[in-house]
Amino acid sequence: MKIQKLIRDVLLIEWFRGLSVTFKTMLVKPVTRLYPHVKRQPFPGFRGRQALVRDPEKLKERCIMCLRCKTVCPSNCISIEVGKDENNARVLKEYSIDATRCIYCAYCVEVCPVNALVLTEEYEYLGDKRSDLFFTKEKLLSDWDEFLTNYPGDSYFNKFWRPPGMPEKMLTPQKRNEKPIEIKKKNEEIAS
Amino acid sequence: MGSMEVKEIKEQILTTQNVCILPEVEDNLETKEMILNMGPQHPATHGVLRLVLRLDGEEIVGMEPHIGYLHRGIEKLMESKTYAQALPLTDRLDYISSPANNTAYAIAIEKLFGIEAPIRAKFIRTIFCEMARISSHLLWLATHALDIGAMTIFTYCFREREWLLDLFEMTVGARLLTNFARIGGVRCDISPEFVQGLRDFTKEFPSRVQEYETLLTKNPIWMERTIDIAQISGEDALSWGLTGPCLRGSGVDYDLRRDCPYDAYPYLKFHVPLGENGDVYDRYLCRMEELRQSNEMLKQLLDQLPEGEIISDDSPDFVIPTPPRQVEGAGSAASAFITLSKERKMINTGDLYSAVEVPKGELGVYVVSDGSGKPYRLRLRTPSFVHIAAMPALSVGHMVADIIAIIGSIDIVLGESDK
Ligand code: SF4
Ligand code: SF4
Repeated sequence: MKIQKLIRDVLLIEWFRGLSVTFKTMLVKPVTRLYPHVKRQPFPGFRGRQALVRDPEKLKERCIMCLRCKTVCPSNCISIEVGKDENNARVLKEYSIDATRCIYCAYCVEVCPVNALVLTEEYEYLGDKRSDLFFTKEKLLSDWDEFLTNYPGDSYFNKFWRPPGMPEKMLTPQKRNEKPIEIKKKNEEIAS
Repeated sequence: MGSMEVKEIKEQILTTQNVCILPEVEDNLETKEMILNMGPQHPATHGVLRLVLRLDGEEIVGMEPHIGYLHRGIEKLMESKTYAQALPLTDRLDYISSPANNTAYAIAIEKLFGIEAPIRAKFIRTIFCEMARISSHLLWLATHALDIGAMTIFTYCFREREWLLDLFEMTVGARLLTNFARIGGVRCDISPEFVQGLRDFTKEFPSRVQEYETLLTKNPIWMERTIDIAQISGEDALSWGLTGPCLRGSGVDYDLRRDCPYDAYPYLKFHVPLGENGDVYDRYLCRMEELRQSNEMLKQLLDQLPEGEIISDDSPDFVIPTPPRQVEGAGSAASAFITLSKERKMINTGDLYSAVEVPKGELGVYVVSDGSGKPYRLRLRTPSFVHIAAMPALSVGHMVADIIAIIGSIDIVLGESDK
């Protein structure tokens, strides 16, 4: 045993074994990406920047002001202000998300009965000031437009609108019947 | 006058804060003990751990860990949220293996309210727990080896960890803070691509573990730095309350996955690796074997994965019941919630302690319910917290340079210890 160990130590066998692994790795393709130049497309359903869905037909937000998202949010970062229009109907006056507090749990997306809210796959956003990360209704809607414009693919469907495997009886009718949103058509409408 | 007062106050502060007090000065003292602050910004303390070391030359004669730099009041926060809402907070305990924490919490609440998760959900949760174990052990190996001086292993471990994080992202849309479990099931089903990806991983992974072992296990430097360092006997480990690989490294055969199986563990065959000496090297060998065992478990889980539902009918809603589940005759949404909760025994009163084996040890959840729909008290028994308490016992008598080997070997995460 002793002699064996001595031979190993003198001949540095373990060292060469280790080095062989290192040298082998030098010959394979690197697994790292040159990040700002090579960007990675996140998987569908990635929980990134928040946005409010603009309805493809009505061209305004879909929210029905049920306040479920506000109630469920574990970090209380959603605030909603409901007002009245001239016909005394409820309108969404303000909808804001404080992204500095959001923990990206997607509970709000999951509970929204009409799929008005989404965590997009956009992950590169930052601000110099706190107010840059305080998203107002206009900002949330324009984020949605921006996201769809840059989205590769013809249609978009967020995973948490209807989580795979969720039984039908736990979903609202709209969630059950939601179709993927066509992107081409929408872009043209906005352009015209 | 003024300077006297200042001096007195200083002395008072020193004694009340219990910062290591200098020894009494003797007349013909030749050597002096030195106090060294390590951390909280030291990169080798794996976060924001501060250690106050008392040194005699290079030998450690006393040490006091200071924690709390990452305290976010998670236990208290959870008391102000409903049971379903509090789940994302458990991600932030041990942020390296969040699916395991989610599962620990979900299982505790399920036991408290008598909810039974469907079998497929249990399997999926166990798959995620084992993936979390591998990814946590990989991060441990990477940083532990980096601290001791083996640089390259760091990059190799991250290469494999990336693979697992991609699989997390594919299923639930987040890489680190997955928030995957739900009380009574899981949030979303796994896809065939996920299963295929995981199969590829399990096929490839044993050879990768072999690679790490080639680099480290017999390496003379590694052996010099780890063998006989921070030895702890089985009895001592038990009385310090160590769990997980730290306990098994000392030869105590205790693993909750086998001893009180939960979720899909009863369906699995695996063996629990044990050490002998209870030193840094044995704990390292234990974890390396656990990597292989977890890989085997993943294979078995994928082979046995049953079809079926992923969420129980009794699972509490996040907020108010969605229309099809609303109760007839309830006046408002709020009263509907209470009626429904009563029906599903969601407002049971009582208390319960439930523990599961997370990568770092035993994560216990003690929950007291007073029937309000929110936990009255929720106490988390986190392994890192207990392990840090045992650090002085492990490190006295060793050299300063061994401290980082010891921190690495007990595998702490400060998010978990500070809560
Ligand atoms: S993702 Fe979670 S924390 Fe963020 S707004 Fe939605 S519910 Fe609130
Ligand atoms: S849950 Fe949806 S519909 Fe209800 S207030 Fe929130 S965004 Fe609007």
